[in-house]
Amino acid sequence: MEQARKKVAFPRYAEYNCGLRYLMEKGLDVQCILPPKLTKRTMELGAQNSPDFVCTPFKTLLGNQIEALEAGADTLVMTYGLCKLGYFGELEKRILRDMGYQFDFVDLSDYNTGKKKDMLRALRAINPKVKPARFFLALAEAVRMTEYVDEITGDYYRNRAFVRDKKAYDGIYRHFLTAMYAAESRHDIEEGYHKAKLELAGAPMDRPENPLRVGIVGEFYTAMDEFSNLEVEKKLTDLGVEVHRWMTVTNRMLRYPGDNNLQVQIKDYVSYSMGCNTTANSWAALDYVKRGFDGVIHIKSANCTPETDAMTVLNNISSDSQVPFLYLTFDVQTSDVGLQTRLEAFYDMLAMRKKVLR
Amino acid sequence: MKQVSTTASRLPLIGIPRGMPYHRFGDLWKAFFKALDIQYVESEPTTLRTLEEGTAVALDETCLAMKLYLGHVMNLAGKCEFILVPGIKSFGRNREYCPHFEGLYDLVRNSCRDSRQKLITYQVDEPNGMSEADAFLELGKALGFGGREVKKAYQTAKREEQQRWQKRVLLENAKVRESGLKVFLAGHSYVLEDPYVGKPIRNFLEANGVTVLSGPVTDREQAMKNSGVLSPGCKWEINRELLGNLALKKKNIDGLILISTFPCGSDSMVNELLTRQIDSMPVLNLVLDSQSGMAGIETRLESFVDIIRFKRGLM
Repeated sequence: MEQARKKVAFPRYAEYNCGLRYLMEKGLDVQCILPPKLTKRTMELGAQNSPDFVCTPFKTLLGNQIEALEAGADTLVMTYGLCKLGYFGELEKRILRDMGYQFDFVDLSDYNTGKKKDMLRALRAINPKVKPARFFLALAEAVRMTEYVDEITGDYYRNRAFVRDKKAYDGIYRHFLTAMYAAESRHDIEEGYHKAKLELAGAPMDRPENPLRVGIVGEFYTAMDEFSNLEVEKKLTDLGVEVHRWMTVTNRMLRYPGDNNLQVQIKDYVSYSMGCNTTANSWAALDYVKRGFDGVIHIKSANCTPETDAMTVLNNISSDSQVPFLYLTFDVQTSDVGLQTRLEAFYDMLAMRKKVLR
Repeated sequence: MKQVSTTASRLPLIGIPRGMPYHRFGDLWKAFFKALDIQYVESEPTTLRTLEEGTAVALDETCLAMKLYLGHVMNLAGKCEFILVPGIKSFGRNREYCPHFEGLYDLVRNSCRDSRQKLITYQVDEPNGMSEADAFLELGKALGFGGREVKKAYQTAKREEQQRWQKRVLLENAKVRESGLKVFLAGHSYVLEDPYVGKPIRNFLEANGVTVLSGPVTDREQAMKNSGVLSPGCKWEINRELLGNLALKKKNIDGLILISTFPCGSDSMVNELLTRQIDSMPVLNLVLDSQSGMAGIETRLESFVDIIRFKRGLM
């Protein structure tokens, strides 16, 4: 009898789990357990079992991993990163084991030496019979899917404020995501993307000549995950704002020009690579300012160390350029009334400014 | 790095802020400047005023240690030509430093912009080909010295630093053999050795008849080798040294006090793991913020000392 396939789960990460699912099922030949969408319960589970003043994404991811285990996963995969993220895996493993769960844990930070050999070891840890050729083919397709998700999401939030029928427009976006989560081949990915691209472009719109434009920068998790940031982008578009977000996986990982290349463009503020996303965010904020955006919103989670560093730089960019910056810090609260008030006030201020300046 | 312009006859006065990297690299800097005959001035020891001055320019969400560091920088501003603000990224895989250490130069540059104080720096990033020796070479060249001269000064300084360190480690390790109650203080050196933040805690414990083992004072190489006992995947060098030192001395101590400053990123996670790993002794987790009174902390320390006394059967 054929050995049962592993049930692998990766915690929810904005809308990128469709690419990860594709990679695991097509490239690694394991069954991917998609953890449930983030909810209030996820946050409560995570916060209960996490250390006190660790950053919020740790709590969110831990809560989601608990839910993944409840959903039947037997192997958890955790990534690594430049900040605390590099240590998430080890602590999560320990906490989950202390809670009594039994599972295999693949912590990619154990393999982050940058050598090909170690990359293969990581793949074999997930599936010992992995075929590298097949994996890299699936990887290329998953990367393509990720780029499509970022592109369509970007289009969606740029124009959502001005479409006549918001409900139908939301529907196009949701359908696109469903198609990506269900994609079984390169053909499905391309078809889903082209269909959504055409439909989004074809939606009837009343675009004012000079709408308010806001750029979003911020932390690699909270700025992208709509549950964690309480749908900031959607709320802004509801107010009638054209929303741009530089911080995406495509921009930060797949097409990142490197700290050194960005640094020369922000040398008035930053002389050396500041680590994590600080250079990238400072560059993106200055870029929005130079391109004449009306405001910039910086999003981070509570206790994120690198982003507090970025805020130091952003403060100066804002005061030199006289462009208003709004700093939003998200913790485990799930009530969005306070956020709504702040966004409305920010919007009113930008709108008044724009009238006066014009 | 830009060449620092100095008049040929006179060397600039360098300011050394006594915060964050000072407690780890300060001896090296001072020896280096001495070897090159450069005058330096240190900031005044930390007081409440340091904290207030730092808080005024720092971002309100940043950690206590960073606020103190900025306070030290402000203390020196205007009193010297350059302030030495290094950037320490990494000495290799899993030998990294926290983002504040990485971006220190630009953080100071942006936070203290209004003071118009000039800064001087060296940047260590070994995985990207910038070792400490190379970084010091650039620093020396920027100050107008020749390559050979700087290399020699760095070697002399490094030797001197290591000798001083070995002496300290020897004294520290002798404490393990003392017979009384022994408590291991786990915290960053810039917290434990700061006269405003960590020293009072240490003094209080010693006044209560407890031998205090300082976590950061250890044979670093040996500690790094042993850090995997408690946490195999830890990526921060300072935390790994603490973990390794603790693993080596675990059997000889009566209690463990974790001291961190709010909201320290690495400590928030490593200390959680430690409290889960260590079950053989009482653990006290102290998180310090910018409060100015000691009474609350003293009560907690007192009851902790009572607990370990009770466990040893001394009560």
